[in-house]
Amino acid sequence: MRLVPIPQDKYDEYRLTLMFDCYKWDPQFMDSNTVAKYALVITQEEHEELVRLTESLDEETRTAEVFLNQHLEITKPLALPKKVSREIRKMTNYEPDRHVRLMRYDFHPTVEGTWAVSEVNSDVPGGFAEASLMPQAVLELLEDETYWYKSFGDILVKAISDKVVRGGRIMLVHCTSYSDDRQVMQYLGDRLQAEGFQVIYGAADHVNFKENQAYSILDGNEGSLDAIFRFTPLEWLTEIRPKRWQGYFDTTTVSCNHPIAIYAQTKRFPLVWDVLEQNGISMATWRELLPDTIEVKAAKDKEGYIYKPACGRVGEKISIKEACKDDEYKKILADVRRHPKKYLAQKRFISKPLIGEQGEEFHVCLGSYTVDGSHAGYYARISGTPRIDSNAADIPVLIERQGC
Amino acid sequence: MTGKDIYKIWAPVGKRWVDWVRPVPFIGINGHITKQTFSNGALPIVDFVDDSYKDAAIIVDLPGVESVKAGIALAQMGYRPIPVYNGTMQQQGARATVDNHIVQEGLIWGAGELAKLEIADDALPVFLLDSNRMHRFKMEISLFDNSWDLYPQDIPSAEYMLEQGIHRIIIMGNAVSKDLKKILYKFQRKNIQVLWTNGYETPKKIKICRPFDLDKD
Repeated sequence: MRLVPIPQDKYDEYRLTLMFDCYKWDPQFMDSNTVAKYALVITQEEHEELVRLTESLDEETRTAEVFLNQHLEITKPLALPKKVSREIRKMTNYEPDRHVRLMRYDFHPTVEGTWAVSEVNSDVPGGFAEASLMPQAVLELLEDETYWYKSFGDILVKAISDKVVRGGRIMLVHCTSYSDDRQVMQYLGDRLQAEGFQVIYGAADHVNFKENQAYSILDGNEGSLDAIFRFTPLEWLTEIRPKRWQGYFDTTTVSCNHPIAIYAQTKRFPLVWDVLEQNGISMATWRELLPDTIEVKAAKDKEGYIYKPACGRVGEKISIKEACKDDEYKKILADVRRHPKKYLAQKRFISKPLIGEQGEEFHVCLGSYTVDGSHAGYYARISGTPRIDSNAADIPVLIERQGC
Repeated sequence: MTGKDIYKIWAPVGKRWVDWVRPVPFIGINGHITKQTFSNGALPIVDFVDDSYKDAAIIVDLPGVESVKAGIALAQMGYRPIPVYNGTMQQQGARATVDNHIVQEGLIWGAGELAKLEIADDALPVFLLDSNRMHRFKMEISLFDNSWDLYPQDIPSAEYMLEQGIHRIIIMGNAVSKDLKKILYKFQRKNIQVLWTNGYETPKKIKICRPFDLDKD
């Protein structure tokens, strides 16, 4: 794995291309430029290893979530939000083959020369255009046939096309006030529209349900829906008033993702692995890749553990001291003390940074997607600190052909 | 001209502050606006700034096109206008809570005006906001909510401002909005003074009280 610099004289135009042709509408986050000046190149061998590990993790995750859904009595350690816990009882009609299951596993190279996985984005992973168009844009700049990439967008669109009636109506459910969400949806929407689907951009409360079927109540776009693609996180969905969101849990309308995703989305997922294994479900790949994860209280006298919020996203509220600004670290610890069940403790792994042109260090988070169990491409970010959060820069992932 | 061409006029490569120009309203220009319908280009008279404000950035928070016009008026006085509009377009056929098209039209017009100006490399920034952005009252649940807030990540940090010699921020608008209060309360704590003007009167120093939902976002 290495960094390949984008030619300096082409970088500004590349950044503009990403904004205007590749749905990168958030190129700046506070003082950080979120477009890396490099491409991330992995070898064919690394790619094949990542495909194997990702698909193996995915097999374990999907088996586990189906089992948990049938045995709610063992889900208590997950400490799911109460509103969600009440609704998951309805998911008895969940049929995996009916829906599209999309996940992204975040890999990090470690100083031991192995991979560590920090989490699975099980519910609403993003980065669609970055994983589809960004590698294409950088390939055109580098003009090097040594590299290739796997287009996430092609794979996701095919999976949706396989399960949704031709020309069907698909609502792309997202927080319509956030342009950051819309950029992800707009890319997918444009792709689906090109395939002949009727695409509706709407919010979670624009979907209602009747006899388990979803329909749109969005002004001027009313009527039945053939699929729901949800980008609003489940725990946000359950905050919506008036309460009409419960239909998401038992709908038979094709969903991506179905709320079944919640079992693995909580970072407390590892706390039920012992019970899963006692029931014959292998979590071997997860055990190999995820650092030891325990209850906050169990970590009290242990060295080298960090705290992570159970419902955290994009690296928020992770207690990596050197990555925290101002009094953030102090605030996280105070919150952990107040709400230990909303957090977990995880053994910290030491990320191995890649070295840039000027000798600067970059830590890598390499997100590896699956769609319906198969590997579906990469979305990566690099950061000057080991915590990969919103200040990190998006970087296209290229695969180097064997023998080159 | 495409949205990209217009963006490049507002955010010329390599200039100070332009990294914060949000591309969002420019993206839609290619697909949605083919003809400029905005024609009233009369600029407001902005006479509240003078040489005594050389350490002050300005945030213009006025409705739609009015904010673009104020930005151009200030650009003529040597400021670098930085549009940070971030609202998206509604689903086709749906009524929306905010008209974000109007800002696009203003930006197209403004690009024509900006192209005539030579703005100094060390120009002070004026951040442009649409004060209609927080119209999120929905008479009917079926409406498309494309209202938006300004978040701390949408503008430079207080530390960056201070490094650039900015010690004061002047808000030009009808009131200090809720989202600005959240951001500027923290700026204030880092010793950046906040001033407010309605655009006619001399900016007055204000004290922003701690918003009750400060860290909720």
